[in-house]
Amino acid sequence: MIIWRNLNSRPTAPRGARLWRGGMLLVVLLLLAGCRGGVRHESWPGLTVVDGTLYAANLERVQALNAETGKVYWDFPVGNENDVGPFYSTPVLAPEVGEHGMLVIAGLKDQAVYGLALGATPAERPDQRWRFGEARGQYVGTGTLAGDRFVIGNGDGRVYALNVADGTLTWVFAARDRVWATPVVVEDTVYIASMDHWLYAVDLESGTELWRIETEAALAATPIHALDHLWIGNFASKLHQVDLATGEIVWTLDTADWVWATPVVDGDILYLADVGGSVYAIDLEARRLIWDLPEAVSGAVRARPALSPDGGLLFVASYEEGFIAAFDTASGTPQPTWATALQNPGRLPGDLTVDAERLYTMPIMVEERIQAFDLVTGELLWSSPESVAGE
Amino acid sequence: MFDAVLVRPIINVLLILYRLLGGQTILAVALVTLFLRLILTPLQLKQQKSAKQQQQLRPKLEELQKKYKDEREKLAQEQMKLYKEAGINPVGGCLTLVIQLPLMIGLYQAIVRVLAATPLQLLALPQDIYRWIPTLSTLIPLNSRFLWLDLAAPDPLYIMPILVVATAWYSQKLITPPATDSQSQAMNKQMQIMMPLMTGFFAATLASGLGMYFLISNLVSILQYVLFRSHYALDRAPSSAPARAEGARKAPRRSVSKS
Repeated sequence: MIIWRNLNSRPTAPRGARLWRGGMLLVVLLLLAGCRGGVRHESWPGLTVVDGTLYAANLERVQALNAETGKVYWDFPVGNENDVGPFYSTPVLAPEVGEHGMLVIAGLKDQAVYGLALGATPAERPDQRWRFGEARGQYVGTGTLAGDRFVIGNGDGRVYALNVADGTLTWVFAARDRVWATPVVVEDTVYIASMDHWLYAVDLESGTELWRIETEAALAATPIHALDHLWIGNFASKLHQVDLATGEIVWTLDTADWVWATPVVDGDILYLADVGGSVYAIDLEARRLIWDLPEAVSGAVRARPALSPDGGLLFVASYEEGFIAAFDTASGTPQPTWATALQNPGRLPGDLTVDAERLYTMPIMVEERIQAFDLVTGELLWSSPESVAGE
Repeated sequence: MFDAVLVRPIINVLLILYRLLGGQTILAVALVTLFLRLILTPLQLKQQKSAKQQQQLRPKLEELQKKYKDEREKLAQEQMKLYKEAGINPVGGCLTLVIQLPLMIGLYQAIVRVLAATPLQLLALPQDIYRWIPTLSTLIPLNSRFLWLDLAAPDPLYIMPILVVATAWYSQKLITPPATDSQSQAMNKQMQIMMPLMTGFFAATLASGLGMYFLISNLVSILQYVLFRSHYALDRAPSSAPARAEGARKAPRRSVSKS
């Protein structure tokens, strides 16, 4: 009653003020609308390179490309692109499944995993064999193969183990929050890092929990298996060494910032880049830092670094700045010939991938979504969709 | 600059509250929204008071407009003189809105960033967190579940947008001054429909945590209006300024509160 009575006794503001107020409200709403970002839903794409063929999950489609030239062999899906992607999850190739292998992909939008039976040649369009759509969240992490199983975490906090041949569900394991990291399989155990702060060990056959340990913060990075231990970084700026059998944390390294990028290992040396751009080389056997480079890369690092085939160079991608820096693995010395800015303002959240001759990146927010660089010189060899190979 | 001064402090306050409130994102958002609206209350009261005073001067202003209809400069001088005598800053209401704007946008952006609906948004969050406050980073990602809602995603049942539209319409109806002519009346009506629909659209398409922010803001607006009106009515006294008293006598009856 008070409200309505007072409503009737409101003062009259000048018309100009009313117009001004209305205009300001409109401006606010438009500014707020601007905060929504672009229409295109970007992701961090990933690619796999096998025998000269790249399989790239890119925006709303998965593509197969010639690794040498960048020529696109095929796209999946065809026609209904907007129903599946965008993709965060990297395609996984199961070469022993089916006649010519099975490519397994997981889409974000339709929350489904697909099994694509590959053709006799890379150029042959694959045949969709199965679709698993029971998850209720988005697939951000990449799955992993273990025998006839494909194990993948989901945004609904569950990990699904599928029969890779037909996509049937074998078991489900429930964590407490999103699983963005790739499950790691060591012998008959699956290790699952979750955003709920916990690291779980689960029986590969049955999905039964064997043990779990709580760390201080979210686990977004994929654990690395080396020297009979797991090595995992978290959002509390720590790298933990975890005993495989018991889950006990046996050693911890403090980093300068969150660890989101999955580390890479060469023998008993682990290379790590944190979100703040600091890079570390760690002797796992001696549990000591060999070298560290505080804020060596400007801008956040999310992408898994890559090692050159001879192990002599470490490549680290700056997400915001969109460039790749190279460091000598023995000394940590930056390699100036390689500090190559990409030829566009793209960002680099996706993992770096190398084969014997090239380094591949998938910048986002640009048209050239896949790029190949010469491993020795850092020269851009080709980009897709605008392939420049051989020209 | 805007980030450092406004958005980041709000993000960190949200995180601290999140920790203190046992991991309840919804409560942290509600408290920060409430707090900012309370900070703005004196400004909004001043704006309302200024609007009311201007309304009381309207008869005098109309007289001046008639008297000096062919002398624009003289009219402006006399109007300013009148405002000065009555102790009114004619642009005071606008300044209040200018101050409110960045706070509203800052709060909105802080909620968007801290909820981090997508992995890429989460990747941008570390630079916004004060590292000198221990363990704030360990709170990420925030628990985004509340009843049926995932605060980082749109409401699938559209309950939140409906609540936002209803409360926005009502608060808009309360704060919009009555029109004195048909043109203004039509404009008011349009605004009272368009604004709630627009906020409802945003609440339906953006993260429901933002819908919660709109909802709480609207409820606070309604509450503020109720409290302010009762307070202001008691505060009103016959003015000693001749112009104000004259204005009050000549004002339309429905626009005069308790006397």
